[in-house]
Amino acid sequence: MTDLSQYLPILLFLVVALALSSAFVFLPMGVSRLTGTYKPTEAKLAEYECGFPAFEDSRSQFDVRFYLVAILFIIFDLEAAFLFPWAVSLGETGWIGWGTMMLFLFELVIGFIYAWKVGALEWE
Amino acid sequence: MELNASLSLVRPEIILSFSALALLLLAAWKDQAGRLISILAVAALGAAAAFTASALGSGASAPAFDGLMVNDAFGNFSKLLIYIAAAVSLTIAPRFLEKAGAMRAEYPVLIVLSCIGMGIMVSATDLISLYIGLELQSLSAYVLASFVRSDGRSAEAGLKYFVLGGLASGMLLFGASLVYGFAGSTSFAAIGLAMDKEVGLGLIFGIVFILSGLAFKISAAPFHMWTPDVYEGAPTPVTAFFASAPKVAAIALLMRVVLEAFGSQVLVWQQIIIAVALMSIIIGAVGAIGQQNLKRLMAYSSINNVGFILIGLATGTEQGIAAMLVYLTIYVAMTLGGFVCLMQLKDKDGNYREEFADIAGLSKTRPALAAAFAIFMFSLAGIPPLFGFWGKLVVFNAAVAAGLLPLAVIGIAASVIGAFYYLKVVKVMYFDDAADVIADSDDKVLVWTGGILAAANSPLGYFAIPVLGVWTAVAAKALF
Repeated sequence: MTDLSQYLPILLFLVVALALSSAFVFLPMGVSRLTGTYKPTEAKLAEYECGFPAFEDSRSQFDVRFYLVAILFIIFDLEAAFLFPWAVSLGETGWIGWGTMMLFLFELVIGFIYAWKVGALEWE
Repeated sequence: MELNASLSLVRPEIILSFSALALLLLAAWKDQAGRLISILAVAALGAAAAFTASALGSGASAPAFDGLMVNDAFGNFSKLLIYIAAAVSLTIAPRFLEKAGAMRAEYPVLIVLSCIGMGIMVSATDLISLYIGLELQSLSAYVLASFVRSDGRSAEAGLKYFVLGGLASGMLLFGASLVYGFAGSTSFAAIGLAMDKEVGLGLIFGIVFILSGLAFKISAAPFHMWTPDVYEGAPTPVTAFFASAPKVAAIALLMRVVLEAFGSQVLVWQQIIIAVALMSIIIGAVGAIGQQNLKRLMAYSSINNVGFILIGLATGTEQGIAAMLVYLTIYVAMTLGGFVCLMQLKDKDGNYREEFADIAGLSKTRPALAAAFAIFMFSLAGIPPLFGFWGKLVVFNAAVAAGLLPLAVIGIAASVIGAFYYLKVVKVMYFDDAADVIADSDDKVLVWTGGILAAANSPLGYFAIPVLGVWTAVAAKALF
């Protein structure tokens, strides 16, 4: 039988996270009802989804430039995702790890320069 | 220092990586310099090939990066083939892409990036590095397939390839996670050790998923459905590239995974490989019969050839692997030659033609082109005096030596069916009334490349057998 007590910290974390996030959702709702600022309009009640109406024909056209921004965001977002495990293991990997990450960032910078130069970052 | 030793073992990949980055920056500033960048990319591939050849000559085998990759004769032989095929696809491309209005400087950069991925694929000895190489190659290939953006067929090819390729990568990853879970390691050597004792159901599922994902990448039946559409839609130089270099890389990868990771349990994967080989041979032969488009015909021909190559793998012997490498080399020469001929089919307005009706009576208007095309078709059909026959001979020899006589017999029977459509191309060119739509070719590069490849496929190719035999034997030895 596995000793479950070693997972106590993560259980506590989950409880605290659940309590806090519930508070963030329900506290403003309760406060607004009690203070009288509760005035629902159609726009306020609509689901928020990236600035598009949430329910309509999915075949509607929208600007392809959104895709470009999203793709660039994903690429440079991944860079940040790689930085976290790298940062906590830097003590183990030492200078070689540092050099490897700098090389990785250098390559990303070249990709960034390319994207900038060909105009992928310009909206108009 | 260990890192330095590792880095010196992947010198070709480092050369290609830095060239790709430099060429990318050049491409950003000089978008119209596609030809100059193509030449520089071919030079980079040449430099990488020179290092690979010298490593192949020394015949050493050394692990790099703590067993993530290995530098051995097998990997070096495959890399050499890949770099040569990629350089040919770069050389023949500019005229075609300029006509389509798509000769952008990114084309050579993408090919070089794809070659880095293929270099990692063929030298990977770990499921992680395998996947990194495979994805680097595939992502470049998806973009290449849709390179002529204004052409609807090219965009369709890119999208189809991307969606189905993503599915195949997912299956491969799922299989890799199962194998890791049941074998306890991602390293091929450790998986091989874990499989020595016993193979549970979970591990077999993992192997089946990995083989399915890789069968998709080499377009072997029953995972071939994307091939005709992608080959037809992609620009012809890109199709020539798809049919040669990535196929070599994926087949080499399959050989290494099967023999180094799963080698101790031959019975587990042998049935799968035999089934895939037979299905590919038969579907490739029968599916091509009704095709009117020559690029689709070449797609089915490549499915058919992959089947023959897999017969060598099904034997699981050193002789079989050497035979596969011989066949792969000859296949690259045959298929590149076929596509170079296809690219010379231009009408008087400079439009590219690719239908059967267009080549009717080609021997009367363009005798040299028709003769070259006929050589490639006879060679693909495996008619004796031509080089393609030798590939089939060594593969069937290995199958018989390994006791797989029924497999060899079915393979030979199916190659007779396949001969029908290869000979149909020759018959239409030589015995039909001249359609007279194909104008004289003005592209010297294509004429020369086609001529050299035709010479390699003619009986002159047999002079290469002593060298080819020695190298493939050394390369095959590295896997055992």
